[in-house]
Amino acid sequence: MVLRILLIDTDAARAAALEESLSGAGYAQVVRVGSEELSAAVERSQPDLIIIDMALPDRDALEDIRAVSAASPIVMFAGTDDPGFAQEAIAAGVCSYNLSGVALADVKPIMASAIALFHRYRHVETELAAARAQLDERRQIERAKAILMKDRRMSEPEAYRWLQRKAMDESRKLSLIVAEFVAAHEASQRETKS
Amino acid sequence: MNETRLRIGLLRLTDSAPAILAQEFGYFADEGVDAELHIEPSWANIADKLTYGFLDAAVIVPPLAFAIELGLRGLSQPLVIPCNVSLGGNTVTLESPLAEKLRAAAPDRSMPAALCGLLQERGAPLTLGIVHAYSTHNLLLRYWLASGGIDSERDVRLLVVPPARAVEALTSGQIAGFCAGAPWGEVAARAGVGRAVATSDDIWRNAPEKAFAVRRRWADDNPGALEGAVRAMVRAAQFCDAPENASYTGALLARQRYLDVDSHAILSSLPGGAVASRNTSRFWRNTATFPWLSHARWFLDQMARWNLLAPDVDRAALAARVYRPDLYRRAARPLEISLPLQDSKTEGAHGAAWSLDATPDPITMEPDRFCDGAVFAADGQPTVPSNAQ
Repeated sequence: MVLRILLIDTDAARAAALEESLSGAGYAQVVRVGSEELSAAVERSQPDLIIIDMALPDRDALEDIRAVSAASPIVMFAGTDDPGFAQEAIAAGVCSYNLSGVALADVKPIMASAIALFHRYRHVETELAAARAQLDERRQIERAKAILMKDRRMSEPEAYRWLQRKAMDESRKLSLIVAEFVAAHEASQRETKS
Repeated sequence: MNETRLRIGLLRLTDSAPAILAQEFGYFADEGVDAELHIEPSWANIADKLTYGFLDAAVIVPPLAFAIELGLRGLSQPLVIPCNVSLGGNTVTLESPLAEKLRAAAPDRSMPAALCGLLQERGAPLTLGIVHAYSTHNLLLRYWLASGGIDSERDVRLLVVPPARAVEALTSGQIAGFCAGAPWGEVAARAGVGRAVATSDDIWRNAPEKAFAVRRRWADDNPGALEGAVRAMVRAAQFCDAPENASYTGALLARQRYLDVDSHAILSSLPGGAVASRNTSRFWRNTATFPWLSHARWFLDQMARWNLLAPDVDRAALAARVYRPDLYRRAARPLEISLPLQDSKTEGAHGAAWSLDATPDPITMEPDRFCDGAVFAADGQPTVPSNAQ
């Protein structure tokens, strides 16, 4: 059985990957839309199922899709008889709307691959953000150490221990202490300049 | 103290202010509530995440809370509304040329009546944006249109456009106007693409706008934390309502992490934020935080009027199940504020300032007129004796 799927995702790479996996499995004829008027796109392509990125505000427009598809029911998450499945979808950041009342059993494998894909992309994003944060933190620590070594004539290990002790005394994260220290230093520099 | 986690969903709207303030000022923490604010992109997200337990609470449009409670969008999730969040703040904004034409035609007629005339000349329906089918905006806009003789099913086409997208849709011509919450009407005016032709107050003075909804199971499991959260919201509402705090609140909301828009656009929708602003949100005065049963009844009656609610739903029971003035009263006890003697009031009966029976002191109230002069008395509910002239 071939379902017509409307895929709404601003992440082009993810959308392409999902399209490939779905049409490859022979499930679906996939129509991808950008940010055009949603109700018009739904009217034109008459999908059985809509898969959308939860992070898009356009979801509000989909809520009123009854207006354009009065004949077909709209069921969120491709069937509400399996809340656990819906929960997984939300956690992965993907939402689906079943417009033609197709049975959950038919929709499940399609949603399952969407969920898996969204998970994978989310995982990559999280890792990227964590790596960036770590890099940032290290850069800040270097900067704080440099300030201490220059202004207070500390050695490098002394400077690092000083920051660590401060974090311990105030029982706050080292990264926070360092960020504050650098910010305060920069503020005082600006003041002396002006 | 063992802190109770409370995940609160918000949209990028001026009336998210009390929740943001309560978080930034540590009011939630004062009450032992470990609040997490989640800025969501759409009402649909707020609704889904409440339904599936990813959020415990939200600042929400009350009709959507009823839709979630009843499962009108899919699975149902029981909710309680222990306090209201804001009054007013919406604008009906039309594309500038249309707004000008309307203003020119309006002096001897009401604005919606003038619009009705224009629509008849035009002979084709006008597309207007609303933020969600189950929104205050949909109900207020339809009420306003109907007061001028406009049939909102036939003479206009109502299209759902998320609030943050409304200005873009107006610019592209996708819609000819919209009804949305602050600051989006002001953002459209500043961009020169639209002008406000009516505000919430023009439709219903001091109309209820957003409410604080909590999953009933969370509320039942954490009665102490629920009271604490209500107190935090009430204290923050008092701060946000004071004109001298407007610039502070505006700057806080404008931050990228929150609304991420020009603070001036937000400012004009805050109490005291703009000279002679016609459209501010109210957070404290006029019992803005009290969850009036009569407000719930009005929303439910209007939902039924526009077929958003089946006619056989017991609206009085539903209102009393969701709106919980009893929880508000219990939470407010330590705050030593005046509390209304009744849980319902007559809506629309007051054209001038009036005094609401309350204890220990009566509360001075502003007018509450509807644009069509209607008086709404939730039937079967005791009503406050009218002190109006």
